Amino acid sequence: MELIIGGAYQGKRALAEKLHPEIMWISGESCTMEELIRCQGVDGFQKVIRRELQEGRNPEALAQALIEKNPGIVLISEEVGYGVVPIDAFERSYREAVGRTCTRLASACTRVTRVICGIGTVIKDA
Amino acid sequence: MLIVVTGGSGSGKSAYAEEQVMAFGERQRVYVATMFPFDEESHKRIERHRRMRAHKKFETLECYTGLARVKLSGTIQAYSAQEEHCPGNRRKTEKPVVLLECLSNLTANEMFQEGGAGENTVEAVLRGVLSLEEQAFALVVVTNEIFSEAALYEGDTRRYQNYLGKINQELARRADRAVEVVYGIPVKLKKDSERLCRLEALGGRRDEEILGEL
Repeated sequence: MELIIGGAYQGKRALAEKLHPEIMWISGESCTMEELIRCQGVDGFQKVIRRELQEGRNPEALAQALIEKNPGIVLISEEVGYGVVPIDAFERSYREAVGRTCTRLASACTRVTRVICGIGTVIKDA
Repeated sequence: MLIVVTGGSGSGKSAYAEEQVMAFGERQRVYVATMFPFDEESHKRIERHRRMRAHKKFETLECYTGLARVKLSGTIQAYSAQEEHCPGNRRKTEKPVVLLECLSNLTANEMFQEGGAGENTVEAVLRGVLSLEEQAFALVVVTNEIFSEAALYEGDTRRYQNYLGKINQELARRADRAVEVVYGIPVKLKKDSERLCRLEALGGRRDEEILGEL
């Protein structure tokens, strides 16, 4: 499993395509759970987490399912936890859920790359 | 000895900070809690952190404002009294390892709570942290990255970011280790101090004499 993270508009997808030219990326905005379990790579994974929360499900269970059923997946996810704590309760739980879910996934990853200004820094290489 | 741990929301800062405390070996551990339990969500957060710390043998001290007034000697006496029933433990006079969690709450408390430091928040928090560090064998401090987003804030929120930013900078400058935790992965913000490297090289022999030599 591999995680590519960074803020918005930092060139995460471009770097991911360079690292993995063979992957057909699916979109976190619209993919189904079945597609997620079968795919090689997903872009915008934080949107999957948001949809899970909106449906009232626990995204950390999703992390567990991915680790078990799609351990080779490459996930591109936006970092959203670096702002002031939101006043809105859903927004607050969303940013925390992205943190906890990605922390769980990162522990199962062989590589985690953080992209800033299009430049990737490998922060975990196991 | 000061270790500063920062990171975003849900990033595993606390778990990492607790690991850092445990790495100092068998010593008294004190947890200084700063979250004021004002609603159900904060109660839940506090409960979650308590569960994480269970079995790690922390004495918990609550401090919402006025950290500089906190004296660890009270908890140390209580600890020594307990230890009298366990002869053979020679460490009862040693300073504890302290985990302070977290500066983002403490800063907000000082700014907004009645009796808080108000516009003197930066000085009050820094003074409090340094006073704790003096009383501790080692102090691990958890803070928060709340500075990178599109929204622009005004007034109190902007001032809060400004104050916490200043506190984080000053403490990271003084720290023996400053780490950002990214999804559970520690990313060092600067080189560890020489005395921390020496301390780690000494492994299990971490006692007051060793710290004196450092």
